[in-house]
Amino acid sequence: MALLELNEVSIEYKLSNGKLKAVDNVSLNVENGDVVGLVGESGCGKSTLIKGIINLLPSNGKITNGEVIFEGEDLSKLEFEKMRKKRWKEISMITQSAMNSLNPVYRVGNQITEVILEHEKMSKHDAMEKAKELFDLVGLDRARLEDYPHQYSGGMKQRAIIAMSLALDPKLIIADEPTTALDVIVQSQILEKINALLEGYSGSMILVTHDISVVAQTCNKVAVMYGGRIIEYGDVKQVLKKPNHPYTMGLKNAFPSLTGEKKDLISIEGTPPDLSKKIDGCRFKDRCPFVLDKCKSGEMPFTRVESGYYYCARHDEIDHLRELADLSETWDV
Amino acid sequence: MRMTKYILKRLSIVALTLFILLTIVFFMFRVIPGDPVSMFIDSGLDKESQELMMKMYGLDKPLWDQYVIYIKGVLHGDFGNSFTYSKPVLDVIGERFLNTLVLTTTSLLIAFSVGITAGSYLAWHRNTKIDLFGTVMALIIRCAPVFWTGMILLTVFAFKLDWLPLGGMTTVGSNFTSFWDKIFSLDFLKHLILPAITSALYSMATPTLLMRTSMLEVIKEDYIELAYAKGLSDRNVRIRHAMRTALLPVVTIFAVQAGLAIGGSVLVETVFRWPGMGREIVLAVASRDYPMAQGAFLFIGFTTISFNLLADVLYAYLDPRVSL
Amino acid sequence: MKNVFKVFSKNKIGLIGLIIFVSFVLIAIFANFLAPYDPMEIQFLAEGGVARLQPPSLDHLLGTTYMGRDVLSQMIIGSRVAVLVGVISAVCVAFIGTNIGLIAGYFGGITERILMGIVDVMYGLPFLPFALILVSVLGPGVQNVILAIVLITWRNSSRVIRSQALSLKNRTFIEAAKLSGASDWRILYKHIAPNVIPISLIYVSTSMASAIMTESSISFLGLGDPMQVSWGRILFTCYSSQAMFKAPWWILPPGFAITLLVLSGYMMGRGFEEVANPKLKER
Repeated sequence: MALLELNEVSIEYKLSNGKLKAVDNVSLNVENGDVVGLVGESGCGKSTLIKGIINLLPSNGKITNGEVIFEGEDLSKLEFEKMRKKRWKEISMITQSAMNSLNPVYRVGNQITEVILEHEKMSKHDAMEKAKELFDLVGLDRARLEDYPHQYSGGMKQRAIIAMSLALDPKLIIADEPTTALDVIVQSQILEKINALLEGYSGSMILVTHDISVVAQTCNKVAVMYGGRIIEYGDVKQVLKKPNHPYTMGLKNAFPSLTGEKKDLISIEGTPPDLSKKIDGCRFKDRCPFVLDKCKSGEMPFTRVESGYYYCARHDEIDHLRELADLSETWDV
Repeated sequence: MRMTKYILKRLSIVALTLFILLTIVFFMFRVIPGDPVSMFIDSGLDKESQELMMKMYGLDKPLWDQYVIYIKGVLHGDFGNSFTYSKPVLDVIGERFLNTLVLTTTSLLIAFSVGITAGSYLAWHRNTKIDLFGTVMALIIRCAPVFWTGMILLTVFAFKLDWLPLGGMTTVGSNFTSFWDKIFSLDFLKHLILPAITSALYSMATPTLLMRTSMLEVIKEDYIELAYAKGLSDRNVRIRHAMRTALLPVVTIFAVQAGLAIGGSVLVETVFRWPGMGREIVLAVASRDYPMAQGAFLFIGFTTISFNLLADVLYAYLDPRVSL
Repeated sequence: MKNVFKVFSKNKIGLIGLIIFVSFVLIAIFANFLAPYDPMEIQFLAEGGVARLQPPSLDHLLGTTYMGRDVLSQMIIGSRVAVLVGVISAVCVAFIGTNIGLIAGYFGGITERILMGIVDVMYGLPFLPFALILVSVLGPGVQNVILAIVLITWRNSSRVIRSQALSLKNRTFIEAAKLSGASDWRILYKHIAPNVIPISLIYVSTSMASAIMTESSISFLGLGDPMQVSWGRILFTCYSSQAMFKAPWWILPPGFAITLLVLSGYMMGRGFEEVANPKLKER
């Protein structure tokens, strides 16, 4: 049994002028020990999806369809109190903006022991000892537990949040763009830290990012999200070596090569689809260099491959498309 | 160490402000059209005593010397003699000062605790009918004259319903062994309720509205989302994380509100015949007892400045980002 | 300025405030025509005897006072003092406060420190007791009440205006004006001042509200001009005659009128706030 199983999940926001379908019919399995990268541009629905998993959608957002099965239980139908007991204990988070995720008026140590004491019967002193160990783990000075967030640098705050996410040894950690708000050097330090910690961690992780090179370094599986749908899912090595969806191909060529080979970086022109309108045909059709008439209407065919799946109407000529996609002219408009 | 230094620095500013206050008061009462002497010498006295008094207070000397004598006097606790009470002003003010302090402190405590709770409640239920109703009510109450609110409460609860006394601080004829014995008695409490609530209603709207706005800002913060992700209960997130942080701007207005409440004691104490400094000023002004008015005014100014200081220290204590 | 009217016409709160305020101004202007009786005239009953504490009737829509005077007429005539004190004080307060704030913010240095030091000391002065003593020393009269209000409340606006001037003076268009050789005063009044006007207007309206409140408080304490009818004075006579428990028609109208007029000031202030800071609208 998978640890987390998303079955045809759709999430909608109610807006003043209608509805916005931020997540549309998403299915995904996370097995024990998996590190799944969830990639996509901003606004593709990845943040909404993970908020949906832990039931933290804003009041105008709602899971309208599907199930979120975590260890055999549908989280989307769980009452608040039961869900609350699972949060952090079973599923913890490394938030997008660690900068602002620590409450400015409490000491950092206090904010870590708070979550330990909330979920475990432990004395304050023991909780503090645990916090000290966590700080050792992420490479922060124990004495800094007594400091307030404003005395920390951005990288230190992010480490503190990582320490906090490990506090209860959860089965699943969701890292929501853990490096976005940091400067480049700190980004790679934090990423290394996460990688090092994953060595000693037996649970699973979903790593949300817009940077596919981060996925390559860290994850064993990848889910590529576009316009509210996971358009390709599979084993990281396979997907990066042989991407099946034109968007993944573009994405792969939009970042510097990991193997160091020289190539032209491409940029995918255009803007993502408007999710407040109903989308007919392929979501990527307006930006896809390979678009044909058959892409423009109806549901795209679901193609299963060895390690996952993808949606593309031109699934029978993928090998050819892949060659074209490697040429930067293909993406010029 | 830093704290001590900070408080010392603040105290020196307080001392300076007080000194300027003294000066303003001195000139306010003397550089005015008419005969300033008559303001300090009881005109009911015979000619001989009047001259004696003039000598005593140096009123025959030039203004500058008078100023020096006055400052010296104040430093020694000599605020002159009250005409009405025929005893030193300080003797009269002593207890009045405590009475005002008890009333304003009680009303500010009520105003801020209710205001903070109500404001965060309204923010938590934002964009509902309760929110709209509460906000509008707070606005209207802020605009109602405090003496009028007091008169209406007095009519309803003291006269019509006869639940509470019509005014004063204790029932006539009651005896108390000490000040503390008095203020913890049931009788005193009954007399305190209406004036305290009146004054509190007046001071309540601003913290309510400010707390509401501040909460609405805080609720959007990432650490609130993280607090939920941590699995904290709704109550815990609301109180420990949202309210605690949203409190900061509310503390900054405490000084201003306290100043208003102390100034407003002039009105509330008059309506409820509460024997405090505010009412004393009104009585002194009405009976042209200027030494008394001057002394009471200085004490009210002193209290205002002290509350300012208290608010600053409180803020520094509550917000770790403020370094003293 | 055009902008002001545009935002105001769309801002419901500001518009309602403006309507209430204008209605009171109109009542004050035409008070003599509107008041059915002379407010100080003692009314008599048809069967003889003073019409003391008569409940509302067709003859006296809001009843009569303990002295037998018509409450409605007193209310209408009383609006004159409220509007007069409110408007004059507000304009003076905003004018002084804005200028001091502008000068402190623009020139900085020792000028700023002295001016802001004065403001700090002003905040230590208990407002109402100060006004009370000043009026009692100078004698009753609308002009002394206005003086007392203006002497203290300018402090409120000067702090905010100062920080505005401070942030404006480093903008590029000010730099450009300086380079073109404009004098300090010209820059201050030609280039900086127009930008702080919306904020000054917030203070005009809120100062008006607080001035009206202060005037009625001073009158309630018995320090108003005994020859002048004002809402605060009506409440003073009501309170001191001990008749307030029996005559709701006497005690309620002045309080409602004060509340409404003060409220209109704050509502207009809210409207101007949106002019000054359009972002507020998004809330």
